[in-house]
Amino acid sequence: MIDFRFLIFMPIVIGIVLFILPESLKLIKGLLSLIVTGTTLYLSVSLFAFSSAEPTELYQMSCVFLPAINSFLILNLDGLSKLITLFIGLFGFLYTIYSIAYVTKKKKLFNYYSFFLITIGASFGAVLADNLLFFVTLWGLLGLTLYKLIKSHDDQSSATAKKTLILIGASDSILIMGIGIIFRMTGSLSISSVNIATSGVLASIAFLSLLVASFTKAGAFPFHTWVPDYAQDAPASSSAFLPASLDKLLGIYLLARICLDIFELTSWATLMLLIIGSITIITAVMMALVQHNLKKLLGYHAVSQVGYMITGLALGTPLGVAAGLFHLINNAIYKGGLFLTAGNVEKRTGKEELDDLGGLSKYMPLTFLAALVFALSISGIPPLNGFYSKWMIYLGIIEFGSGPGIANKLWMVWLILSLLGSSLTLASFVKFISGIYLGRRKDHLQTVREVNFLMWLPQTVLALLCIIFGVFAANWIVPSLFGFTGVSDAGAWIGEWPVQMVSILILISIIVGFIIYWIGTLKTRRTCDSFIGGEQLQEEFSYSSVEFYKTIAALKFFAFFYDKAQKKWFDIYYIGKGIVLGFSSLLSWCHSGILSTYMTWMFAGITILFIILLL
Amino acid sequence: MSTLIPLYIIVPLGTAFITVFFAKWLPGLGKYLINLALLFLTGLTIYLVIHEPQTMIYRVGGFTDVANIPIAIFLMIDGLTKILLLIISLVGLFVAFYSIKYTKQYTCEGNFYTLFGLMLAGMYGVVIAGDIFNLYVFLEIASISSYALVAFGIEKQQLEATFKYQILGGVSSLIILTGIGFLYWATGTLNMPDIATQLPKHDTFNIFVSVLLISGFGLKAAMFPFHSWLPDAHSSAPSPISAMLSGVLIKAIGIYVIIRLFFNVFSLSYEIAMTITVLGTLSMIIGVLLAVGQWDFKRLLAYHSISQMGYVFLGIGIGMLILSTGGDGKIAALSILGGLFHLMNHSIFKALLFLNAGSVEYRTGTRNLRKMGGLASRMPITSATSFIASMSISGIPPFNGFFSKIIIIIAAIQARYYLLSFFAVIVSIITLASFSKVLKYAFAGKTHEKHNEIKEVPVSMSISMTALALLCLLMSLLIIPSIREVFLTPAINVLLETSQYSVSAIGI
Repeated sequence: MIDFRFLIFMPIVIGIVLFILPESLKLIKGLLSLIVTGTTLYLSVSLFAFSSAEPTELYQMSCVFLPAINSFLILNLDGLSKLITLFIGLFGFLYTIYSIAYVTKKKKLFNYYSFFLITIGASFGAVLADNLLFFVTLWGLLGLTLYKLIKSHDDQSSATAKKTLILIGASDSILIMGIGIIFRMTGSLSISSVNIATSGVLASIAFLSLLVASFTKAGAFPFHTWVPDYAQDAPASSSAFLPASLDKLLGIYLLARICLDIFELTSWATLMLLIIGSITIITAVMMALVQHNLKKLLGYHAVSQVGYMITGLALGTPLGVAAGLFHLINNAIYKGGLFLTAGNVEKRTGKEELDDLGGLSKYMPLTFLAALVFALSISGIPPLNGFYSKWMIYLGIIEFGSGPGIANKLWMVWLILSLLGSSLTLASFVKFISGIYLGRRKDHLQTVREVNFLMWLPQTVLALLCIIFGVFAANWIVPSLFGFTGVSDAGAWIGEWPVQMVSILILISIIVGFIIYWIGTLKTRRTCDSFIGGEQLQEEFSYSSVEFYKTIAALKFFAFFYDKAQKKWFDIYYIGKGIVLGFSSLLSWCHSGILSTYMTWMFAGITILFIILLL
Repeated sequence: MSTLIPLYIIVPLGTAFITVFFAKWLPGLGKYLINLALLFLTGLTIYLVIHEPQTMIYRVGGFTDVANIPIAIFLMIDGLTKILLLIISLVGLFVAFYSIKYTKQYTCEGNFYTLFGLMLAGMYGVVIAGDIFNLYVFLEIASISSYALVAFGIEKQQLEATFKYQILGGVSSLIILTGIGFLYWATGTLNMPDIATQLPKHDTFNIFVSVLLISGFGLKAAMFPFHSWLPDAHSSAPSPISAMLSGVLIKAIGIYVIIRLFFNVFSLSYEIAMTITVLGTLSMIIGVLLAVGQWDFKRLLAYHSISQMGYVFLGIGIGMLILSTGGDGKIAALSILGGLFHLMNHSIFKALLFLNAGSVEYRTGTRNLRKMGGLASRMPITSATSFIASMSISGIPPFNGFFSKIIIIIAAIQARYYLLSFFAVIVSIITLASFSKVLKYAFAGKTHEKHNEIKEVPVSMSISMTALALLCLLMSLLIIPSIREVFLTPAINVLLETSQYSVSAIGI
């Protein structure tokens, strides 16, 4: 048996040790982190391979220094936590490789590796923890490291850091209340032994409290608003790791625990989850359509994809749960990859606005190919992984439709909204790919070249994973990774999708296409610029991929909402801020600083106490 | 060991006396002497906490009881007192160390340390007095020296603040004295354990006196609606003094006395428990709402003191409610644990935050958050320690504030006060919001042009802040059962077994 204490505490302890090393030894810190994350990857793989006869295995850790806290250190090694652990290990390792090249001295990120390692250790702990108090402690710590992994060097990024900390911290506080209620209702703090039906006021409040924590972490409507801002302002390695991969894994992990273990969903809960899922898919993708900043665009997609996972998990059927989790894994792969490619582009060009970019495919071929794979995958193009998990979600919804409840009767609505979201995703990724990689190269991008080995390696691995997870989904990936959800064999589903055969057909068609193209270019031809009446071709003539999407924002119906979204009407952070500051200024107005007023309060207070208590 | 108890009063009083006596010839003497004194008292307190689990009583003058009537002045140290002694000594020590450099900017440094010593003697006296009149005397010593210390910079703002503080403080002292007078009239004794046994079971009278005492000590503890003096006084005082006032004084002469009186002296009553809980909740909410809108660094911190004291009152009040209605003792213990633990934690992180504010003011000369910015790169230690303190007060793990808040919230839910736990959560969120505001405007962002040249504060100030920041982290360990049993459990037992106070003192 492997000692899983290392998995949780080794990264945290080494992370703390790294605080002591000076910043000038960044490379050494990076290499040390690489060793640590490599070890944790190995441990998480061996944990995944480690199987036991029991469906749920509790594992008692023992703390040598403080035996008194042993009762808190119980790990829950079931299929779900093993799965999430495996991918935390994988992403942790890949992003460390990327960070070594990306986080250079110029970035002015202090103690990056310390917080990075603490994040990894705390995530392992949060996922494996069985005791809710142990869980919430590590979960809260993650909010802290998230805050520290964004450099707040100017007004915008420090405002984003503040917003992130407040939203995440608020959700953690609400989570504590939910845990308190669970403890009050069941007298137990062990995840594996709690099972409450979401009927009754208390249970519903507890359910909603936990849901808020999960939604904020994963970035679902209406608590998602930190994700796009964070994606835009944090360094690419942080946003690839945290909002795109790790926080999704954790947030949806918590959601899965809520839906599968801690609570039994009643029909209102299912309906609410499906509504939130659909709203998240559509609103976020609509926002993504009109973004011009490439990292912010990705940030909105990171929100939109969460809607699919919520939809899948809300269905509650084995197929739905497996689909939701598979989409979670897929999303973490391609969304993390997209952020890495965005980081590469930003590193080489220094630009983040789509308008300033273009025509990079020739100069950054590896990045381009990887980004293309990711973009196709997120848009749900077969045979990539994004397609297969969405396919499973659609099938899950159709299967769900045969059930009795209200939510089941509305299956068509959920299906149509999911499909619509998928097509809008494709539309916005057309903009993404063409805006950055296709079209004419801008003049200021003359010196751009491919990034170095350390930076393209992680994205290549992820792109290969996208293909493998798509092509071998049916026979290999889904049964081996998601077998614990009880998902039945692919052949038993309503729709059938012979994925390998389709892949071969697609491959053949691509090859045939290339051959035709190649035959067409065999004859030597003269190429010249487009004839535009003898004018010199100027930069303004190049088509801007952004322009088309501006028409969407200008549509009458949408314009209203976009305008209000611009003014932060739908941002729960600004709504809360407005309310709190309103009360604050009212109370400040009362505190005039005049002594006689204060004296009056004092005597009024005493008098009121006398009246209430003595009469 | 009980013969050592008077040292808590003699040592700081003696230091104050020697300081003022030699101020002319040895102007630097006071600052080192007070550090030594506090170092000694800290060591003594830690020794007592670990090695003397029993209640210790010292009878001043050596008078023994006559026919079971205690005629000597009692100085008593039990579990609850030890917690207070510990925080007074620890915070006092670091604040005094911090002051060594900080007070260089004032002309008559000697007077500062004299007043500081007097304030310490007053606070120590209040927590160890077993006699309500002596408690009042020490209360006045502490209060009056704090009035003078608030005005120490003698600028317009400070004089205005101290004026309000004096008037309101004076009125509250008068109310307290009236209450004590009534108690003496009814019982014929001033010894607190004795009062507890003599007090008539006359409800109206008890409540009448209780209201007087709650109002009087509530003002010292900045409880709503008696909180109005605090933001002015705590923000205008020199920063080390603000740290002492917010970190220790309001607890030693406010909350401690309220806890002691209404648990151990008066018999527990549901009405009083409810009053404390409701006023605590209101302080918590109103304090934080006022704090979040402030732009003056120290004023923001001062309002947070009101709010955090609300948490302490909430924890204690819920425990009292459960005990007075005969509920589950375990939940009451949990709730009181939360309250007392938060009291200890607050004294550490709030003192640290005021020292941070002092350091920022020391280097930049401003308390306005809008005029700061980007100080993280210029003042790394101040920035890192204030980050830790901010996270502590906002209840983010792994810092101490998280554990005390989670205990209070869970205890409130266990006791079925769901609404109160909800308020505690909301207040915690707004606290986090206002401290992320501090971090953003003071330490993150672009460095202000004016501040490009500033350096980190001198070493003695940095050491104090670092030590307190480490304590913020280490105090989390108090939650672990084996450590909790040494520090917190004796104090909780004092409050759970309410009659034990009299029994251990006078055997009745």
